[in-house]
Formats: sequence, C-alpha cells, structure tokens
Amino acid sequence: MRLNLLIGGKAGQGINKLAEIISSSLVRAGWYVFNYKDYQSAIKGGHNFNLISISDQNLAAYEEDLDLLFAFDAQTYDEHKKNISKKTILATADSELNKKVGGFFLDLSQLGKFGNMAFAGFLFKCLGLDKKFLLEEIEKEFKQKEIVIENKKIIEQFYAPEYSVDLKLPEPQQNEPQHQQKKELPGYSHLSGSEAISQAAVEAGLEIYFGYPMTPSTGVLSSLALKQKENKDLFVFTPENEIAVINSALGASFAGRKVMVGTSGGGFDLMSEAMSLQGMVELPLVIHLSQRAGPGTGVPTYSGQGDLNAAIYAGHGEFPRLVVAPGDAQEAYEKTIEAFYLAEKFKLLSIILTDKHLAESGYTDQIKKSSVVVPKREDLLSQGVVKKNSYEHDLFGNTTEIAAEIKENTDRRIAKTKLVEKETQKFTRYKFYGTGKNLLIGFGSTKGGILDALPNLPEFSYLHLIYLEPFPSEIIAYLQKAKKILVIEQNSTGQLADLLSKQLAVTIPEHNRILKYDGRPFTAKDLLGRIK
Amino acid sequence: MLETKNKITWCPGCPNYLIKQAIQTAITNLIQQGYPKESFVVVTDIGCSSKIYDYLDLSAFYGLHGRAIPTGFGIKVGNPKLNVLVIAGDGGTYNEGLDHFIHACRYNINLTLLVHNNGAFSLTTGQASATTKKGFIEKTHPFGVQEDALNPLSLALESGASFVARTSALDLNQMAAIIEQGIKHPGFSFIDILQPCLIYNNFSEVLKKNSYILKNPLPLEKALVEARKSAFALENPAKEKIALGVFFQEKKPTFEEKYFQNRNI
Repeated sequence: MRLNLLIGGKAGQGINKLAEIISSSLVRAGWYVFNYKDYQSAIKGGHNFNLISISDQNLAAYEEDLDLLFAFDAQTYDEHKKNISKKTILATADSELNKKVGGFFLDLSQLGKFGNMAFAGFLFKCLGLDKKFLLEEIEKEFKQKEIVIENKKIIEQFYAPEYSVDLKLPEPQQNEPQHQQKKELPGYSHLSGSEAISQAAVEAGLEIYFGYPMTPSTGVLSSLALKQKENKDLFVFTPENEIAVINSALGASFAGRKVMVGTSGGGFDLMSEAMSLQGMVELPLVIHLSQRAGPGTGVPTYSGQGDLNAAIYAGHGEFPRLVVAPGDAQEAYEKTIEAFYLAEKFKLLSIILTDKHLAESGYTDQIKKSSVVVPKREDLLSQGVVKKNSYEHDLFGNTTEIAAEIKENTDRRIAKTKLVEKETQKFTRYKFYGTGKNLLIGFGSTKGGILDALPNLPEFSYLHLIYLEPFPSEIIAYLQKAKKILVIEQNSTGQLADLLSKQLAVTIPEHNRILKYDGRPFTAKDLLGRIK
Repeated sequence: MLETKNKITWCPGCPNYLIKQAIQTAITNLIQQGYPKESFVVVTDIGCSSKIYDYLDLSAFYGLHGRAIPTGFGIKVGNPKLNVLVIAGDGGTYNEGLDHFIHACRYNINLTLLVHNNGAFSLTTGQASATTKKGFIEKTHPFGVQEDALNPLSLALESGASFVARTSALDLNQMAAIIEQGIKHPGFSFIDILQPCLIYNNFSEVLKKNSYILKNPLPLEKALVEARKSAFALENPAKEKIALGVFFQEKKPTFEEKYFQNRNI
C-alpha cells in the first residue's frame, strides 16, 4: 500500500523541516518513507513543497496522485490541484482557501514560530498512529527544552479527535520481519544522500573537508561542519573559491591527511586543472560531485545527470580515476567508503557522482557499518625528503624531459587503471533486478523510479550501474541476453547510452533512450507511459 | 648545504642563484637553531623562480601556476608542525593567483611567501605581468603596457598581512636575514624580492641607485605611505627612493590559533 502526501507553501515557512520531522517519525513508527523535496532558488516567498510517500515496502520514488494535501497558501493548491481526486484529504492554514475548496482548516495564526507543527499532530491523528513517535522525534530534533515543550504542546493540541478520517495506515503484515517486535524498523533511519555521504566519510577516516557552497553539494558541507562539534579529528573549511578548495586539498593530502572536497558542475569545472594535477602527483583525493540540471548556472535546486561525461573526462591529459554513482542513501554510504579505500590504496582520484535528487531526498535505509578498512597514512615528517611534482618527473620527483622517462611514467599511470579495475571487483559494481527478457539500464538516483515501475513491467529486468569508471565490462553478458535494451537517464543526449557504446561496442539508438531533462525525477507513471 | 645534484638551468648570472643561496643560508641557520630539516616544505609555482624545486634538497611540492599559495595553505592545515615556504614569481602570485594572495593575508596562515618579482613572465619568454612598468614594450604589447603596475605591498597591507617586507635580489645578506625573520614570524610572512631579469627586464641600475634600507618596521599608517611608492614606477634617476626591509610586522592570531584551538590537529 502507498500513501502520498504533499505539504506546500512559501520558502521560509519551515516546510522542509516539518517534512523531515514527519518522515523520521513515520520511520520510527515502522513505515518506509520517501521524502521528495522541491524548492526554488530563493530564501523567502515563491513555492516550495515536500512530497512524502509512505509504504509498507521500501521505496525511493513518489506518486503524484495525492492522498492528502496540506496547503499553507492558495498557491500550493493551485500548483497541485491537478493531482487532487475525490479521495484527497485537503487541509490548509489559509482560511480563504478553506472557504473555497473545503477540507480541514488548521488555524496557525496564534501558534507562533512553530505553528506548522500543528500539521504533524493533525497528520498522525489522521493516520491513526500513536503520537509518541512524533513526540520522541521532537525530543531528538531540538536541543533547547523550551522549544521541545512548545512543539509538543502544539502537536498535542492538533492530535485531536475531530481529525479522524478514512486515511488510516493499515496494520503491517504479520510476516514482515521489521514489525515483529516493536513498531520500529530496527537499524533503519531516515536520511538524505548527503547525510549518508557525510557519515560514511567520517567512518572512512576523513580528517579535512574543503568545500565552497554550491547547491546541491552544500548539504555535505553543512553536515560535516556540524560534526566538528562532536568530532575533534575533523576540520571543515570554506576557502575563497573552488580552485583554492582543490589545491588546498591536494596540499593537505601531501601532508598525510585524508581529505574530501565537494561541489556541483560549475565548481567541478574550476577544479579540473587540479584533477589533472592529481593525476600527475598521485595523491589520494575524493571529490563529491553532486549534479544539478545544467549547463552553465543551470537550475541549481533541481536534478539532472548531465555531468557524467564531465565526471569521467574532465581534466586535461590522461590519468586514472574512479567514478561511482550511488543510487540511494545506503549505496551512497557504501560507495563513499569504497571511494576512500581506493583513493588511499592506489593514490587515486575518486569521484562520487550524485545529484540533487539523491543528495536531498529523504530515504529510509539501513546503514550497516562497513567491513572495508581504509588504509592508514604516514606522517610527512617521518619520511625524509618527499617530493611531488606537477611536471613529468623521475622516481624521486625530479623534473624530467627525457623521452624514455616520459613514456615509462605514462605507461605506469595508465596501467593503474587495470589494477584499480581488478580491485573494484571486490565490491558491488552493479545490481540486477527482475526476470524479464528485455533490459532497462540506468545509473544513480533513477534507481528509485525504475524500481517503482518494475513490478508493472514483467517483461523487463533492470541493470543498475554503480561503478562507471573503471567500467565493469562483464555486464556485456546481460546486454547480450536481452531482447530489447532501453537506457534511462536524466540528460538530453544519452551519456550513459554513449558510454555503453564506447565500452561494450553496442549501439543504443535514439528511440531506445528514455531521457528526462526537466529537472524533475522519473516517477513510475512517467516510465510506464514511455516504455509501454 | 641543502643542494641537489640536478643541473641548474637558470641563465648564467641570474639573481635566482643569489636568492637560492639566501634561502639555503636562512634554512641552514634555522636547522642549526633546532628546526628539523624534515619540517621544511618548499612549495613552488611555475616559472623561473619555481625551478628551485629541483635544486633544493628539501621536501617540496611543485604546484600549478598561480596555485602555490593554496597548496601551501593545505599542507600547513594538514600538518601545522611543518615550516612551509612558498616560492613563486610575480606571474603566479600577482596575475594567475592574485585572489589566493589576498586571502592568505586575511587568513594569516603561518607560512612564508617569497615572490621573485621581476616584472615579467620570463619562462614563457618575457611577456608583461601585473607588475611590469607602464609603457613597457614586448612581443604581446607592441604598443606598450597600458596600465600602471599593481602594487603588491599596498595590497598586502590593506588585506591584513602581519609581516610585509621587500628586498633586493642583489643583496644576499639582506635576503637571508629577512627570510629567516619571515619564517620565524608567527603568521603569514610576505617577502617581495625585487629581481632584475637579465634577459627580459633588467632594472639592476634603477634598483641599486634608488633604494634605501629601512632600519625598523614602521607603524601601519607609515608603512602604507611607504608602500605606495611603487617599485615599478621608478625612473632613472627617480624623484624619490623606495624602501627595502621589513615594512610592517605585527602579532595577531594565526590561522592555526583561530581554527585549531579545539581540534586534534
């Protein structure tokens, strides 16, 4: 079963925070939740909304047909009325709107700063869930006692008998393991891709993070900056620009630290010369590239997969690198640790490729501690004279222009790609779902939408690629067995399809490329419409 | 003597030889005073100045053009116990990487920046840089440079640098002394070395005739006035002389003190 609820209003009304609290509380209550966050590039005003999908099975996609719409303002109603049906429960804080369209009116006018929490109380009553899950989440979320008390008061007030509606979540199945003991998903948490990456980086031994704010990579910067309070081994700093970010990171790596940097497309472009430097000096470096819809400044708060080529090819000259594209929060966690492992083991440039959809949506995932052990590093001071050179150099780091030395070093650098590829075979580089004779192929955050559609596509199976460089060529076996191959991605030219062509000598014609490039994620409905 | 066996490819007679000697003298002195040799890290830019990477027997990072400062910043943040000496030219510092220079002054990161300021991009065969004198004619400026030279000393002082000095590449003793002082100074030490380029911009005579030595650092307002007398506005003979020595020095919280108070770094 599935419920979709939308909360919308203006930027600055605390909608996102409200949606996060509700989502986490629902996970506490034993439900799987996916929280899609849609916001414009503005601090106040405009229109922002969260679409929360609740299910008894894990999910990473939403459906547009709404079971409940909470509109802070009339604009929200106007924007989303096309997704309302007879079954939709309407609620609003705008009395004029309520007079026009009916439904519930929640009077937030006297409630002060935390007024929107009324909706949370109201919602839990509608869903027939124990309010304790919400109250526990409030205690966890807010540190100040007065704020906790005020929020709880508002929730209690609106967890009221008059809000009993026919929207109750059914009792979970008896044979679902997670519901057998308490009504909690043991080990599951509700978190965004950014939070998963931050946690994983710290777990991998991250010591220094440099980042320049750029949506949608900023979530990791903020998350790590906050972690400094409890973690004194971590240092987070914003240098003057992205060129300083990456050159400083290479300096810190030279000094013996585990470092990571984060950015989006434009900042990544600025970093490209230093990525080439990394290829020459061979110092471990992890870059988190979180895509927005491009090109240029693009659409900063919306998603896309148009930087795949940039991730694989940016930086002049030839040198090995890793590109991993996780598809959900759990993969983001695992692959971040693997990225650090490979960076350290092979003195490699590891690029973690995500997008706004993965970075900022709320996933329900079980973050298991990784068994991957990231190698430790030696202090520079204990190693005598150490030289790293951006010029071509000999074994000791002395600059060279000798033909034989140039060739030898180049051969050694390029040979590294094969060594890295062999090592990556230890890890999960792709996943295969379904049993259909036809094949869907995708990468990154489209996983959620595709898996949501797959049960209604019995003639299709789905290959979800995670490791893109070095490329796991063995997947050719799946393509050779398939009757029809469709490649699904969020860009306008089919970069994954072209990558498959290059790596596997297969041709994916235009009509077999399912492309979406309007900044919004695929829903099951989109995909079914285009595939069938 | 901190010298490698690599063949030196500077032009014969280039003042870079003297600068190298000054650096080696300063660091040797510091090693004798107890600074471990392994603690020194040289970070170079790209250009004639930066070839010194191959000639010094010290840990070093030959960085990208214009990016020696952020690289050195990162090395320092990575291990504050290291003594980082950033060596670059006017091309890398006052053109390509000018923003990094300004912010390093603000951060007050505890490293020493030596700029081999010869008013030209010498290694790429003599194009004008930000500190080239107005009116200078070369291949890419057939009608002459149209702008006044940038004034790095004024810029450094206005950006909050806590140690600002200028020296002549022709004066070995002054250079060695100021470099040692700079390394010892807690905070960002900026030393502009006026260096005639024998091939592309030989201002040796102008420099020798029109400079005088500051006995002591000046208070900030006086330092600013002195700094305004741009080295590259000098005519021969000049209306006024330019100062060499430590212009300004103050003790203020270093980057390390500001940020690593409650860190295990």
